[in-house]
Amino acid sequence: MSKTDLEACAECDLLLNPARPALGEKARCPRCGYLLQRPRKQSIERTLALSIAGLILIFPANLLPLVGIKILGNTRDGNIWSGVAALFGENMWGVAVLVFLASILFPLLNIILSLLISGHLYFKKPNPHLARWMRWLQHLDEWAMLEVYTLGIIVACVKLASIAELKFDFGLYAFIALLIITGMLSSSLDEYLFWRHIGELRQKVGHES
Amino acid sequence: MENYARKLAMKVEKSALTQGLIRCHDCGRLAKQTSHTNHCPLCDSRLHARTSNSFQRTAALLLSGVSLYIPANIFPIMTVSQFGVGEPHTIVGGIIALIHSDMIPIAMLVLIASILVPLLKLLGLGLLLLCVYYRWQVNARLWTNMYRIIAFVGRWSMLDIFMISILVSLVDLGGVAQIIAGPAATAFAAVVVLTMFAAKSFDPRLIWDSQQ
Ligand SMILES: [Zn+2]
Repeated sequence: MSKTDLEACAECDLLLNPARPALGEKARCPRCGYLLQRPRKQSIERTLALSIAGLILIFPANLLPLVGIKILGNTRDGNIWSGVAALFGENMWGVAVLVFLASILFPLLNIILSLLISGHLYFKKPNPHLARWMRWLQHLDEWAMLEVYTLGIIVACVKLASIAELKFDFGLYAFIALLIITGMLSSSLDEYLFWRHIGELRQKVGHES
Repeated sequence: MENYARKLAMKVEKSALTQGLIRCHDCGRLAKQTSHTNHCPLCDSRLHARTSNSFQRTAALLLSGVSLYIPANIFPIMTVSQFGVGEPHTIVGGIIALIHSDMIPIAMLVLIASILVPLLKLLGLGLLLLCVYYRWQVNARLWTNMYRIIAFVGRWSMLDIFMISILVSLVDLGGVAQIIAGPAATAFAAVVVLTMFAAKSFDPRLIWDSQQ
């Protein structure tokens, strides 16, 4: 066995023999407790199915109104875009860009990258960009903040409830469904397995050429 | 799980770096350390045994975060105006307003996300830097766990920013009622982003490297 077949812990650099945990088990670093592997049942298939569902849901969740309010006979609907647009209108472009990235662009990219990667792995189709997409996905992950945004909606609604009449629109249900799908998506994606398959696909191409 | 731990650990506890091996930051594959800079054979990303300039980058980002934390708390984060009379709210002011209107659970939530999390994050990252700089002999597992908590909770501070973006778009009825974002929103958003980058650039392996 070559030295490079060993593994190292990402957070304490301890040299380890590769773990072979069964489904549902977790392999942790014995020294620092870092979660090394967490095999999932049918990780590639589930990731593919969930990213397709997410891609469908992201349109109503983004385009339809989430909540509406009624103050003194005036009604207004709002969705993620109108929040970004309102901040732009007040020249708060830094905050507007941040909200746009964290609640619209990064969740979308997250789903598209998951779809591309799991699709290629499912059909065992090599692609020279697979490793790059996977790296992007890993770096993007923490900047997609749909769950924090949801909490923001809840706090905003509680604040408004005393001064206005609130109306929950269909977009909100799509948004909550999207939130659940993206949560399931990130827990179904087994990075260890994905990297192993990307490596195998790359080797296959190397042998054929 | 316990037998995994036993099977996993090599007979002598060694770090990959002392064995001339570098773990790829992105895909986790081990590669042999060579004199020239090289790239991971699996994913092509640049190999670094430790996050490059981890200490300096974390310190710089942390100091920028600390200095922006002051305007973020002094200036109003939003102005609520009704019938032309504007009332500016700071972060703390917003929480006090929530308490006065008997919305205690929501007030606690905002208090945790907007005040406690950023403060503990700035403090915790500062301690981690000191620990690495002075090579403190500590319970490294405990400190690694502290780092993990800091890295995990950071994004939840965006709560206030998202809430403001929703309020600003909904409450826009001209002279009747209007909510406008204040300068502290930009400063606070910058604090959140800077501390998230600071946590990302801190390499927890440095804690383990300085233990004897
Ligand atoms: Zn470890």
